[in-house]
Amino acid sequence: MKDVKLSIFRHDPEKEKEGKFVEYTIPYVEGMVVLDAVRYVEENIDTTLAVRWNCKAAHCGSCSAEINGKPSLMCKTRVETLGENVNVGPMKAYPLIKDLVTDVGANWKSIKRVPAFKPKEGLQEPWRMQQVDIERSKEFKRCIECFLCQDVCHVMREHYEETDYFGPRHMVRAASLDMHPLDDLDRARFLNEDAGIGYCNITKCCQETCPEHIRITDDAIIPEKERAVDIAYDPIARLIIGRKSKKRGN
Amino acid sequence: MENKNANKHQNPAKTRLIPVEFTELNWRFWSFVLILVLGIYLLGLFQGNVSDAVSKFGLTDPWYSPTVLVIPFVGLFRLTCYAYRKDYHRHLFDHPVACELNTRQDKLGRAYTGETRFFRVENFHRYFMYIAVAILPFFYYDFYVSLTYIPGSITLSIGGIIILVNTLAATIYTFSCHSIRHLVGGRMDCFSCTAAHKSGGKAYRFQSIFNTHHEALAWTSLAMFVFVDLYIRAVAAGIIPNLHMVL
Ligand code: SF4
Ligand code: SF4
Ligand code: FES
Repeated sequence: MKDVKLSIFRHDPEKEKEGKFVEYTIPYVEGMVVLDAVRYVEENIDTTLAVRWNCKAAHCGSCSAEINGKPSLMCKTRVETLGENVNVGPMKAYPLIKDLVTDVGANWKSIKRVPAFKPKEGLQEPWRMQQVDIERSKEFKRCIECFLCQDVCHVMREHYEETDYFGPRHMVRAASLDMHPLDDLDRARFLNEDAGIGYCNITKCCQETCPEHIRITDDAIIPEKERAVDIAYDPIARLIIGRKSKKRGN
Repeated sequence: MENKNANKHQNPAKTRLIPVEFTELNWRFWSFVLILVLGIYLLGLFQGNVSDAVSKFGLTDPWYSPTVLVIPFVGLFRLTCYAYRKDYHRHLFDHPVACELNTRQDKLGRAYTGETRFFRVENFHRYFMYIAVAILPFFYYDFYVSLTYIPGSITLSIGGIIILVNTLAATIYTFSCHSIRHLVGGRMDCFSCTAAHKSGGKAYRFQSIFNTHHEALAWTSLAMFVFVDLYIRAVAAGIIPNLHMVL
């Protein structure tokens, strides 16, 4: 491969009504990732191109984009896996700021609304926990908040207006708190009643997309749905849980 | 706390009695319905061809066989199973038609209620799972009968082996269920905190090995079910011989 044909979405909402894909031809360098290609354009062809990135190591989660119709990290997608035509657009689930940069601020609101970590009462310091117990919560800590899962989720993308779903990233966060061995809260009721977990129809696009390979649907959403079943749909489980918590005195 | 719906619209699909998924003109869903009706019709024809066997053994009546009798229960188990839910929400109802974004553009603005309205029944999966587990021993009994149906000896037949393989597949599939994963440990936040649960989540981790392959298991076992049922009907009707060894 010699040259790469790179189509980048260009739109400055302050100046133009609609955006369009602009094609750039850039020299291919062995092993280059899409971010390298985009930065080549930014540095050598058009310095007004807006692109957000920080680590170039799939750790900061800021270079999220839609590459050839797939939400991906620009810094983790190698050009040779895409062929000669590479199409890069911003995440469409979020309002555009400029070109490839979107405003993912809505997520900070959701994050604030999920009940925060609350340690169990009477824990002795320093807090101790076993590896087996922390394992599940740890999987979710890998999240880099790239919001690609939010972008690909059809509820967030196509039904955001009429649903109150927080989105997969926030289910992952709630699950990581819920499954923490030292956390005292159960967020399943909140997820069911306020965070709209019922809108997720477990179609797993988020899980297939996550660059950190978090098993979002299998390990976070389905277990949280099952916990919601305990509370809202299963009278027998409710009875048993009620008894147990009475015994524990909480 | 701020009003969570401040900038949201009303969801018109929420007030409908019949879920939108069943009323949309969606070629995938309606072709599935067509195939289903055709399948049932063909099953009826099958009876016509084998009427001799029906009068002899009464075994191939398409509307009255063990499979048909348990279908409502195992059917509900599978219809509310997380693996099949993914498949029919995607491939029958097109929610979403694909993860691939370019393919999905035309679907903007469709009515959607997810699992909040009619499909809330999926939350009762746990109960259907209990029933499915209760039915499992009967499959083993089937295999037992296939071994002992000639009095005084043990018969090893292809049919019997197929029944056994199918039974094992159904068992593994059933035990890989997400509700079971929840019951054997998923519901706990800490495996070693209370004296009662000193297990360290062994059952949970063991179950998770199978649960990871839940979707593959679901389809393998479903395909086998159909195959076994047709095989037994064909044997009973004398269409194919049941090779066997009497020990
Ligand atoms: S599994 Fe749920 S959260 Fe994930 S993409 Fe599908 S609907 Fe969205
Ligand atoms: S869960 Fe995965 S896809 Fe979603 S924000 Fe975190 S790292 Fe990104
Ligand atoms: S630049 Fe940090 S994740 Fe891509």
